[in-house]
This record gives sequence, structure tokens and C-alpha cells, in this order.
Amino acid sequence: MDSLFRNTLSPVSWILLGMIPPAIFALYFLKLKRQPLEVPSTYLWHRVLEDLHVNSLWQRLRKSLLLLLQLLMVALAMLALLRPGWQGQSLEGQQFIFLLDNSASMSATDTQSEAKRLDVAKGRIAALIDQLESDMSAMIITFAEQPDVVQEFTNNKRLLREALERIEPSAGQTALRGALELADGFANPDRVMNEEGDQSFEVTEQQDVELYIFSDGRFPSIEDFSLGNLRPQFLPIGSFAAQNLAITAFNTRRNEERPELQQAFVQVANFSEQEQKAIVELTLDKRLLDAAELTIPPNGIASATFNLAGENEGALRAQLDIPAEFKDCLALDNEAYAILNQRSDGQVLLVTPGNTTLQAALATERVNRLAKIETVNPDVLKTAEFLAKAQTELYDLIIYDQCVPRMMPQANTLFVGRMPPLPDWQQQARAEPVDAPQIIDWVRGHPLLNLLELGNVQIADSLLARPPLGGRMLIDSTQGPLFAIAPRDRYEDAVLGFEIVGTEADGSRTFNTDWPRKHSFPGFWLNVIEYFAGGQSASLVHNRPDRMMEIRVDGQASNLEVEMPDGTRQLVALEQPGRLSYHETGQLGVYQVREAGQVKKRFAVNLFGREESDIRLRARQETEKSLKTVDSLSIGYIDVAAQSPTAAVRRELWKPLLAGALVVLMIEWYIYNRRVYI
Amino acid sequence: MSTTNTSKLLTPELLSQLERLELVTRKVFRGRMKGERRSKRKGQSVEFADFRNYVAGDDLRLLDWNLYARLDKLIIKLFLEEEDLHFYTLIDSSLSMDFGSPTKLEYAKQLAAALGFVGLIRTDRVRIETLSQGVGERGPILRGRHSVWRMLEHLNAIQPDTITAEKGPTPLAEGVKNFCLRNAGKGIVVLISDLMDKAGYEQALRYFVSHQVDCFVIHVLSQEELEPDVQGDLKLVDCEDQDEAEITASAPLINRYKQTLNAFVAGAQEFCTKRGMHYILANNQMPVQELVAQHLRRRGLVR
Repeated sequence: MDSLFRNTLSPVSWILLGMIPPAIFALYFLKLKRQPLEVPSTYLWHRVLEDLHVNSLWQRLRKSLLLLLQLLMVALAMLALLRPGWQGQSLEGQQFIFLLDNSASMSATDTQSEAKRLDVAKGRIAALIDQLESDMSAMIITFAEQPDVVQEFTNNKRLLREALERIEPSAGQTALRGALELADGFANPDRVMNEEGDQSFEVTEQQDVELYIFSDGRFPSIEDFSLGNLRPQFLPIGSFAAQNLAITAFNTRRNEERPELQQAFVQVANFSEQEQKAIVELTLDKRLLDAAELTIPPNGIASATFNLAGENEGALRAQLDIPAEFKDCLALDNEAYAILNQRSDGQVLLVTPGNTTLQAALATERVNRLAKIETVNPDVLKTAEFLAKAQTELYDLIIYDQCVPRMMPQANTLFVGRMPPLPDWQQQARAEPVDAPQIIDWVRGHPLLNLLELGNVQIADSLLARPPLGGRMLIDSTQGPLFAIAPRDRYEDAVLGFEIVGTEADGSRTFNTDWPRKHSFPGFWLNVIEYFAGGQSASLVHNRPDRMMEIRVDGQASNLEVEMPDGTRQLVALEQPGRLSYHETGQLGVYQVREAGQVKKRFAVNLFGREESDIRLRARQETEKSLKTVDSLSIGYIDVAAQSPTAAVRRELWKPLLAGALVVLMIEWYIYNRRVYI
Repeated sequence: MSTTNTSKLLTPELLSQLERLELVTRKVFRGRMKGERRSKRKGQSVEFADFRNYVAGDDLRLLDWNLYARLDKLIIKLFLEEEDLHFYTLIDSSLSMDFGSPTKLEYAKQLAAALGFVGLIRTDRVRIETLSQGVGERGPILRGRHSVWRMLEHLNAIQPDTITAEKGPTPLAEGVKNFCLRNAGKGIVVLISDLMDKAGYEQALRYFVSHQVDCFVIHVLSQEELEPDVQGDLKLVDCEDQDEAEITASAPLINRYKQTLNAFVAGAQEFCTKRGMHYILANNQMPVQELVAQHLRRRGLVR
């Protein structure tokens, strides 16, 4: 199919077409029946004609100029119908799916023309679309964080081209799997069961679908995926030589030794074969705070720590100042954002009639760094003010020590020695406590019991905490489970079956367990705070582009305004008071959540992906250094070999030919109308 | 002047302009009747010419009595005679003149009417004839202002020649020859023609040279002839002799035509100038008024 010409017409059509030039000749000579025109005298005209006979050959040519132009036009049209072209493969197949990677790394400009990889890929898809025959159909799917069907199966090339034009680069990470599943859904229609019989038949005829994957291949291999009818081809975009410096981590934290001091931590990675120097500039709300020069080893990382003593809250921005001689191919990851927050985020409420050991365990410095602990008496539980507060997600965690609320709050809970007022828990639990349970096992891998040794803990009596469906038993004893956790909506309820300080029948208080004397006791409470209150706030500060964001906000407002990094504002309705779900996080930068003009919250969206920042094509390992080839993709158990990145599609000449024919037609028209002057 | 007001050949504006004009000739001819022209003849006028001795039979009224008193000799004082001028207009009424808008013949008739009017009001002897007239057919002789109406009637009667099988188009030379045979008198001859004769115009104009007249050739061409607007492949048919010429219109052809036309006009002009005739090229788009008032005046036909 690499021939110079490609026939597009049937023999009958060619015969018909071949009759056109003789027809033009015939018509031309028929046309020569000249129109008579009466003139006063032919006296002068005869003299003119006598003069002109001298150079008659040129005159005759000029006379038949229109004929020649018509023949030229037909010749051009016929040549266009032959579809001359060269150097390329032709499309084979009926259905095509173009998977186009529009993740952050596709914004790299390592191509020869300094164009983005995405634009190069779009150009090549456009070339493939041009080659589609009328009976072929194609669809376009982009994939970054989420796959997106830009255009469903169609044989309308114009629609396909328009869809292709609409594709914009995103800042997301590459996730091929979703796109493959989507393509699979289109290519491998499910079998439908016939209701009467047990026969299964296909909804549509099974057809092989050509799958073109345009990507830079920066994603792990995909396992457990069956391609079915999909026949993949991987067309890598990019080069091996692409260099990039990237900020791969940027956050704020408290100094370990001096917890009152905030620090900013920046990690820079060098994705090139040479050692590079770069300057990291740190700005707080556009005010330059500090800068540091980093020397980053080839393929390595370097980090810098900045002290933020005496700085208030604000949006931190770290920018990589790259020396001019270094060709940084991806600009997206040269900036990173973080939020500087002085106050600790976690809010923990301890409801207890009085428990000094527990209060002491929650008063440690590390706990205070994670969360603010508020202690109240169980009497408060009944007040209306508290009930309102408990429903607004003000607290991350409410610890009910020897008390039970009338209704569950909108928060994570930890019950000590009581069962939550939920039917699920109540059903499972036995009302009577068991005596002297012996701890025999606990889930060491669970974050709540991380690094704890509980084998030596003695317990006088305990309720059995049997979790409802979906829950998990964390501490098991000879008598039954002592500690369990179960999800409730988007919260988690943990129940510790035994009291730490019990109340005797006469009202005097006594220890129910010797756990407070063990090392594991403060560790457990630290884990509790970290798990329920601490870790969450840290994850709130950073987010990945194109992922949904869930933010807790104070107050009762039902509408909040979110200002995006580029300054556009969006009004977001809260589905539940106190919780903002936001998913338009396509831009990198700092987002501000405002309520009535006041900045309530900030969050930053950063790229932070080594896979996206390392924009070099993956080279096959086993080949020699001098002969780099692009590593193949592994989908399921099939290796999809990379096609040559420079494999050119067939270059067709019929468009310029037709354009030429059109130009000839216009010239002919002009001459016909204005031939007096030519 | 009420008789001419309705004529389309002479508009009132043109008439008022023509009233101030008169026909001029550089040559002095002998007229036939008393007129307003200075003649070679001696006669009665206010313009003194000569003295001569009285011989018996001379009119005693012409004696210069003052000289007689001084010299005691009878001397007759001679004055220049003022006579009429013969003014001929020869219109080419061939079929080729029936083209253009207005047709060249129409234009020629207007021109003839204007010049004839000028002649009539100066009491010149005006005669308008066509080329196709036979030797025997003579046009009316018009004289005086009262003849304007007759002149216009005569002009209106002139129609393009009809070509029949036995009688082909009259060649230009033959028409001029017939005219010269009919009119032996000297005076001004104005030939209004398109000079489109396949036999050439030279022979025709030579008759005027031998005829000793003050000759004006007004070469009337239509706009279509000067700037042909033809397109495509055409078969041009001559309206007089049905001659055909096949052309394919193109810019070089049109250019060549214009060159030929210019050569033709220049040739005619040169031919006339060499023989003491006046050549005036007229375009049928040019108003008669302008032609008479400016071009003919400059050429000295009217004053």
C-alpha cells in the first residue's frame, strides 16, 4: 500500500472520467460556431486580421487558452483522484480509538519545533483522521487523571477534527487504565443474555478495534486487563534527551526540636544526566522570603529547608529559578504552592466526667501540635448549643468517656466504656460486661495500634465491642473483642469496651485497668489523635490536580465562593453544612475559599509527581546505550511495542492538487470574463 | 424662428448659438447673387476697391465727384462687390452610417442642419445632397432665413440607402463624382462621411481637389468603432456587402484594431492636409453644438 498512487475509482468511473477530455475537445470545437455580429464595416477588421496572421501560432494558442486551461483542470482533478502520496503506512481496519494522553508531562516542549508534545500528538492524530476512509469510524479519548471521551465513534472527519481541537493540556497524572476500560467498553460490547433461553449473543458484531495510544509512556504497566478486540499500537511522543528540573515536594511543618517554629521544606529533582544548579525562591503572598541555591546530582534530588520564624498565615510559593543554559522542558513543575497555617487544625472534644490519666495523655506536646483539645463535662451534652455545634463538623473527633450522647454527632467518635447509641452497635454488643478479659491479639498494622505493645495490659471488666457490618475488630481478648472500629457515613466510630477509670457502685472512682501505667497508653492516644484529627489536616493542605477536594469549613453558610489561582471565582453550594466538595482543581496553585468575602480556607494544588516530571521517554533496559529504543507498554500480559516515534503517515498530495485545479478554474473564469484584456 | 423650434435636428440652444456664427472660407469665390460675401467682382458695397477712368456706359452714380472737382477728370470709384457664398453639404447616407447611438447618419444630419442654418441666416446659398443621389437628381437650393424649414424637411427625408440586388452600395468615389458633375459652382463643400469604403477614400477626395472648392471632410465615427466592445468568438458581418470577418476577441486583437484605426485616421488626415483640405474627426458621442462651436471654429469653417 506504499505505492505512489492509490486508486479511488472503479474502472467504470475511470472510463466515464476518461471521456471528459474528448468531450471538452468536442464541445470546444462545437462552440467555434461563431456568433454573428453586424458591424458598419469589416474594412478595418480585415486589415487587423491580416496583421495578425503573421504570428498566427501564438495567436492560435491564445485562442485556445480556455481549452488548455480546462484540460489542465481535468488533468489535475484526475491526478487528485489517483491520490498520489508517499512514505507511509495506511490505516487498516474499520474502527479506531485514539487514546491521547493529556497529562502534565504532555505539556513538555522537547520536540524539535518547541511545540508541546500534546500538539505534536494532535497533529499526528489529525494526519490519521485525514486517512480515514468513508467507511471507517473513529473515536477520541483523552486520559490524564480521568479518561474523557472527547468524541464518540463517528466517520465524520470534521467532528473528529473539531473534537481534537478542543483537547487542552491538563495538569493531571497519567492514568491509562481508566481510558483502557472506557475503550474496552466501546470495543468489546457485553454479551446480552437472552431472556427465554440461556443463549448469549453479542449486541453488535464483534470487530477488531485499532487502538492508538499517544503518550509519553510515563506510567506503570497495567495488569489484570484484557484487551479483547482491541489491537493496541503505542506511539510514543517525546524524546530521550528531554531535561527537566522539578519541585517534587513542598510543605510546611513544625521543627521537631522547636515546635513553635514553622519550616518550609522544598525538594527538587533533577531529571537529566548532568549535575544542575538551581535557585529556589520562596515567596509568601508575593513577598520574597528567602532563596537557596541547590546543587542537584544527575537523576537525583536535593532539598532545602527554610525557616519561617515570625511569619503569619498566607500562601507560600516556591519557584525554581533555572539557569538559562539548562533547557527545562516542562514548566508546570517549576512552581509549587503550600499554605502556611499557624494554628493547628485538629479540633478534638473530650467529654468526660473527669479522667486525669486520659487528660494527661492528651496533654502531651505532640498531641497539642496536632490538635486542639477541648474538655467538657457530660452535662454539656444536653445543651442546645452543643447539639448545634456537634452537627456542624466543628470537631474532628469527639471522645465520649463514660458517657453517651443522645444522637451521634457529625464527627469521628471514640467511645470509652460505652456503646454508641446506634442500633448496629447495640445489636451486636452484649449489655453485660465480661470480667477480666485477657488480650490475645491486636491488629498491629492498623494506624490506631501502630507501634503498641498491649500484651501486658490487665483489664478488670469490659463491654464486648462487636462492630457492625463493615467494621473491624482491632483488639481481641479471651472473652471477645475489646476495641473495634466501624465506618458511619464518612466518619468512623471507634469503641473501646473497657473504661479506664471506672465508677464503683458506691460512687468512688477506681482504675479499671493498669493500662495508664504502660508505655503504650500515651502512644495509643497519640495514634488516636493522629488518625482522627492530625493526619487529615495535613492531607487537606495538598491536593493533586483534577482530584476532588473535601474541605471542612466552619459556619453554617450554604454557599461558598472559591477563587481559583487564575482569579476566577466560582460559587459552590455545600451539600452539607460545614463540608465543601470541590472538584474543579485543574489548575495548579492556591485556591481560596471565601465566605462573604472573607478568606475562610486555602488549599494548594500541586503536581508533585515524579512520573509526570520525569519526562524522558523510558528506554528499553536491555539494549545498548547507543541504540535507545522506547520501552514497550505492558497491558495485561501483552507487550505493546512502541512504534517508531518518527513513523510518518502517508503524505497525500491530492489536496494541493485539488486546490490547484480550483485555482485553474478561477483563472479560467477570469479569462473567460475578462479575456478581452489578456 | 418658430418654425425650427420643434425640429429635433436643431435645438433652440443650438440655434441661439449658431445665430452668432457665419461660414468662412479662405478662398474668395464669385457668387451668383447679391449677398454678404466679399466677392472678386467689383460692385456696390461700402468697401473701396479701386479707381478707374470713366468710359461711356458706366453708371454715373459711381462717379467720384470730388476727384472730378479737383482733377476735372471723370473717375469712377470702384467698390468690392458683396455676393453670396455657395455652401454645399454632402452627406454619406450609406448603410454603414446607420450605426451607433445616435446613428452616424443622424449625427451627420444634425451637423448639416447646423451648418446649413449658419449659412441660411447669412444669406448664403445652401445645398444639401447625399452621395447616393444620381447625376440627375439635384437637391434644392436654399437661401435666406425663411428656408430653414425647407432645409429641415429635406434633411429629415434623407434615409439610409436600401441595398437591392440590382443596385449595390454606392462607392464613395462615384458619389463624389456625381456631386461634382451636378454642381460646377465653387464654394465650400462639407463632406460628412465615415470614409469606410473598401475601395478607399483617396479617389473620392481627389475629385474635390480638381474641383477647386474649399473642402472640409468631417469624418464621423461611432463610439463602437473607436472603442470596440466585443467579446468571445465572433463572426463580424459587414452590413453593406455582407462580407465576413471571423475574430476571437482578445486584448492584442483590440490593441491591433486600435492601432489600425489610428493609422487609418492619421492616413486620412495626412491625405487631406497635403491637398489643402480640412479634416475633422468627429465622434458621434460629441454634441454637435460642441463640434460646431469649438472644433469647426478652430478649423476656420465658422466664425
